[in-house]
Amino acid sequence: MSETPSALLIAWLLAPLLAAFSAALLPSLARPLALLSALATAALGLALTAGFGPWSLELIGPLGVLLQFDDAAAPFVLLNGLVVLAVLLDGWRQRVPGPFLVLVMVLLAGLNSAFMAVDLVSLYVALEVVGVAAFLLVLRQRSALQLWIALRYLLVANGVMTLYLLGVALLYLRSGSFRLQALADPGLGSGTRAVALALLLVGLLTKAGVFVSGLWLPRTHAESPVEVSALLSGVVVAAGLCPLLRLSEALPMLQPLLLLIGLASALLGVFYALAESDLKRLLAWSTVSQVGLVILDPAVGGMYALAHGLAKAGLFLLAGRVGRDLNRWTVSSLPLQQALPLWCGALSIAGAPPLLGFWAKEGLSRNLSGPASSVLLVAMVGTAAVYARLCLRPLALPSGWPPLGTVLLALLLLGSGLLLAPLPPQGSIFKTLGVLAAGVALQQMLELGRRFESPQLKLPQLERLDDLLGGMAVMAALLMGLLLQGGVQWPA
Amino acid sequence: MLDPFRLLEALLLITLLAGLLGLISRRNLFLKALAMDVMGTAVVALFVLVAARSGLRTPILPGPLLADAPEAWADPIPQAVILTAIVIGLSIQALLLVVITRLARLDPLLDTASFEQLSSGSVAPSYE
Repeated sequence: MSETPSALLIAWLLAPLLAAFSAALLPSLARPLALLSALATAALGLALTAGFGPWSLELIGPLGVLLQFDDAAAPFVLLNGLVVLAVLLDGWRQRVPGPFLVLVMVLLAGLNSAFMAVDLVSLYVALEVVGVAAFLLVLRQRSALQLWIALRYLLVANGVMTLYLLGVALLYLRSGSFRLQALADPGLGSGTRAVALALLLVGLLTKAGVFVSGLWLPRTHAESPVEVSALLSGVVVAAGLCPLLRLSEALPMLQPLLLLIGLASALLGVFYALAESDLKRLLAWSTVSQVGLVILDPAVGGMYALAHGLAKAGLFLLAGRVGRDLNRWTVSSLPLQQALPLWCGALSIAGAPPLLGFWAKEGLSRNLSGPASSVLLVAMVGTAAVYARLCLRPLALPSGWPPLGTVLLALLLLGSGLLLAPLPPQGSIFKTLGVLAAGVALQQMLELGRRFESPQLKLPQLERLDDLLGGMAVMAALLMGLLLQGGVQWPA
Repeated sequence: MLDPFRLLEALLLITLLAGLLGLISRRNLFLKALAMDVMGTAVVALFVLVAARSGLRTPILPGPLLADAPEAWADPIPQAVILTAIVIGLSIQALLLVVITRLARLDPLLDTASFEQLSSGSVAPSYE
C-alpha cells in the first residue's frame, strides 16, 4: 500500500460538497463548479484505473470512518465523473436552473463516498445522501406524477435502509465492529452472520434495483426528466452495486447466491423490456436486467457497470430527443447525428465488438460455467433482441447540432473498446455474432407478432406501491431463508 | 430466568415487524409514513439498548470524574452512530410529509389506489 496523501484525498472528497454550497450562494458559478467537480472525479477514477494507489483513509480511530481508494472503486468513480460530465454537456445550451446543478454536485459527492466506504455506517450515510439527492432530482418539474414517483422512491429507499441499520446493529452487537470485513470474521456465529448479511444485502440490492426488490426502478427511471433518468440509470444504481461487489469479494460464500439473484433479475428485466413499447420504460427494464449481470462476478462487475452506465446514460439522454413511442419509430425517420450515438450505446449493451460492452460481456461469460452460463446466454440473446429494435429505424440526413454529451459517451465506448482490442478475445467471435444474430431474429419474430396484433401476452402488473414494498419484504425473507440454511449450491 | 436484555431486544424486534407490516398493509399514505416512523424508532431504540449493555451512565466525562473508580459507562459508539441516523430519519420524514401534503390536494383521503392511476398528463396540484 503506497503512502497515503490523506489531505489531498479528503479535499477531493469534500470539494464537490463545498462547490455545491458555493453554487447555492453564487448561482452564476454553478456551471463551472459542477464541471470542475465532474472533471476532478473522472481524473481520480482514471488515476485509480491506471494503477495509482490503492490508498486507504482511516478517520477517528478504528471504529470510525474507513475509506478505501482501490481497484474495486476505480471503475465506479470513473463512471460517476463521466456520466455527470455528459449530463452537464448535454444541457449546456439550455438554461439550467441553479438547484439542479447544486443537487447534481451533492449527488456526485454522495456517490463518491459510497464507492469508497468500507465501514457500514459511512456507507449508510452516503447511501442516504444519494437517496435524498436523487429524490429531489426526480421532483425537478413537480408534476403530480413526479410527486408520486418520488414519494414511492423515498418510501422504499428509507424502509429498506431501516432494515440495513438493523443489520448494522446486529453486527456491532456480536462483533463490536462496523467494518465490512467483520462479516467475514470466523468468530462471528453463523446464524448472526446469516441474519445480518440478509438485512444488509436486501438494503444494497434494493438500492441497486436488482430482481423483485428493484421493482421500484422501471417507473422511477422512466417518469423522471431525461437528464435525471440518465443519472439514475447510469450511476445512482451503482451506489448499491459497488458495495455489493465488495461484499461478494470479501465473502466468497455469497457468490452462488448473488449469481442466482443476478440471473433471475437479468431474465425478469429482459422479459419485461421485450414486451414494452415505450422507449424510456424499455431502457429502465433493461437496467433491471443489466444490474443483475453486474453482480454475477466481482472480478468483472466493475467493468460491466462502467460499460452499461456509459451506454445507458447516453441512451436516456437521447430518449429526450428521439421520441418515446416505439410504435411510431417505423414511420418517422431519425437524423444521422442522433442515430450514430444511439447505435453506439445500443450495440455496446447488446455486446457487439469492438465496443466496451463487448469486452465486459466477454469477461463475464469467460468465468461462468454449467447451467449459469446457459441462463446467461438466454439473457444475452434477449438483450440483443431488445436493442436490435432500437437500431432499426429509417434514417434522415443530419440537420442541426449533434447532441454533445451523448456524442462524448459514444466516443468513450468506442475509444475504450478499441484500446482493449489488442487483447486476444477469449471466447469465440462467432459465438458473439451468433448471439447477436439470434437476438435480431427474435426481434423480427416479435415484431411480426406486434404487427398482426396477435393476442398479446399480458404480463402481470408489478409496479404498484404495494408490489414494491412487498417485493422488498419477499427479498428480505428469501435472503434470510437461503442464508440461514447455508447458502445456495449450484450444480457443477 | 429471563434475561432483560433479551426481552427488550425481542420487544423492539416485534415493534419493527409491526412497523413493517403497517407499511405494507395500510392503504393510507400518511399511515404508511407513520408506520415507517415506527420502524425507525424501533431501530433507534435498539441501538440505545446495544449501547446500554456495558452500563447506563451517559458517556460524557466531566473533569474530576476521570479519576473515579471504573464506572458502568454506556458505549458511546452506537449512540454516536444512531444520532446521525436520527437526523437523517427526521429529514426524510419531513420530505415525505411535504410531498404527502401536496398529494393531499389531489386526493384528500390519501388512498394509494387513487395515485396509482396518475399518468404524465395529470394536472399538478398547486400551492395557491
